Amino acid sequence: MTTNKIEIKDLTVNYIENKRSFNALHDVSFGVGRGEFVSVIGASGCGKSTLLSVLEGLYAPAGGSVQIDGKELHGTGKERGVVFQHYSLFPWMTTKKNIEFGIKQTRHDIKRTERSRIADEYLTKVGLSEFGGKYPSQLSGGMQQRAAIARALAMNTEILLMDEPFSAIDAKNRVILQELLLKLWEGDGTTERKTVVFVTHDIDEAILLSDRIVVLTAHPGTVNEILNVPFERPRSRADLVKTEEYGKFRNKLLSLLYNDIAERIGGDEVVL
Amino acid sequence: MTLKKRYLRVTHLLFIILLLIQLIPEQSTKPAFTSSLVKFAIGFEVLVLVGSSLIKKEESLALLVDIAGFVYILLAAWSLATAKYNYLNDLLFPAPGRVIHQFVIDRDKINDNIKSSLITIVKGFVFAVAAAVPLGLIIGWNARTGSAATYITKFFSSIPPIVYIPYGIALLPTFKSVSVFVIFLATFWPVFAGTMSGVLGVDKKIIDSAKVLNVRKPEMLFKVILPASLQQIFLGCNQGLSVSFILLTSAEMINAKDGMGYYVKYYSDFGDYTRTITGLLVIGFVVIGVTFLFNKLQNYLLRWKR
Repeated sequence: MTTNKIEIKDLTVNYIENKRSFNALHDVSFGVGRGEFVSVIGASGCGKSTLLSVLEGLYAPAGGSVQIDGKELHGTGKERGVVFQHYSLFPWMTTKKNIEFGIKQTRHDIKRTERSRIADEYLTKVGLSEFGGKYPSQLSGGMQQRAAIARALAMNTEILLMDEPFSAIDAKNRVILQELLLKLWEGDGTTERKTVVFVTHDIDEAILLSDRIVVLTAHPGTVNEILNVPFERPRSRADLVKTEEYGKFRNKLLSLLYNDIAERIGGDEVVL
Repeated sequence: MTLKKRYLRVTHLLFIILLLIQLIPEQSTKPAFTSSLVKFAIGFEVLVLVGSSLIKKEESLALLVDIAGFVYILLAAWSLATAKYNYLNDLLFPAPGRVIHQFVIDRDKINDNIKSSLITIVKGFVFAVAAAVPLGLIIGWNARTGSAATYITKFFSSIPPIVYIPYGIALLPTFKSVSVFVIFLATFWPVFAGTMSGVLGVDKKIIDSAKVLNVRKPEMLFKVILPASLQQIFLGCNQGLSVSFILLTSAEMINAKDGMGYYVKYYSDFGDYTRTITGLLVIGFVVIGVTFLFNKLQNYLLRWKR
């Protein structure tokens, strides 16, 4: 088990709201292997975003431990890059400046001209080569997330943490962005894949992208099930959805998610 | 835009009416210097026409032309009430031509006074901003001091800076340094308060996104928190700037040997109301000019906001 890049053990997180403490995550344990893509899914309020804030180092757990490369996690770290749902980019910097600023934070030894070159390279990779001089407010939501992904990748961290990065994007662009991320992450086989923890509530997104899917149950957030995604890489959505296994796997995931909800509302008359 | 839309405007008719009014014989007992007014009006009209041919946006053109229209109406009413029909006491109310003529005669003196006032303002203002912004960032960013300092600032900024003048005179060697000191105080508190309220109001998501990038403290303050609070800082600066002009001109009327306030006070003491009015109008133009430039700077620095 020590080979895991990220090891989460008996993680318990309490949230204090209106002076009342409630248990957001309870005894959550799972590991993420080096170069593995793991999605965390669950209904809203299951603590999946809380889990990610702990991994980001923005929120301190009440109990249990998180280890990265066998070392206890304390606060934020240079080995982790983050893409949020909103506001990953600084609105006062142009898209390119945002990427350069990110590179500067993790890779101090890189010279200005090299930073600029890397920024251009990643802008091109995400299809924004023409938009480096634009401010985030001049870009659409989808383009902003492209830029946020470009920054996270350009920072060349070993771990990538993504908190519902596509959930505020319209359906058509979401699909395009998912495939872009898939392509960039899978790479051409010459570079090592990054370790990714990806939080989402979109089942299809989770299946398309992940090696494994962690399903959380709410109140308090606990691990319900961890599933291996049984599809070969490189994947493509078009090929994937045609197969019979895809439908079966999807249904299994759906039932895991919704049985939980049905149990909680306490009725068998809940029809899905 | 068609030529008709660009050049055929009521404003230009107003310009011609203004010129025609100047043909009415004068009743004022003092020389009205009508030729100065006519020259000014023609010069102004030329500028308006040049502007009309250069402006691309229809709304901006309409704005320029409308403003010019107001200027012509004001000048026409002013010269009718003074030079032409002498409705108003011509000792207290100089004709527009007299004021323009006076400005031309006094232009070097006026320039020196403007320069003196502006140097005082810029010194006090720049010192104040240079001190208030970093202090506000550091104190506001520190969770412990941030909210307490807000109350302290409220107290100090509630003291009208003008009451510091007697104390400043006792404290400092020259009247110039007193003016700089008072402008410093007038600008420092609003900018300091603006910076802190900006810092305290920075979106948590922005702070989180800087934290996960492992931004170090100096960069956090000056590359993240500063730009994120810039709008609030500018609110404080604008407040400081307008109070500074009020204070400076008042201070110059108390005890100065130069400056725009001094010019107005000095000549009104002699009953030279032509120069008094000239001084008032010049102050108006200077304040508008400075505010305009400052707004340009603000819009440039906040260009990323929409």
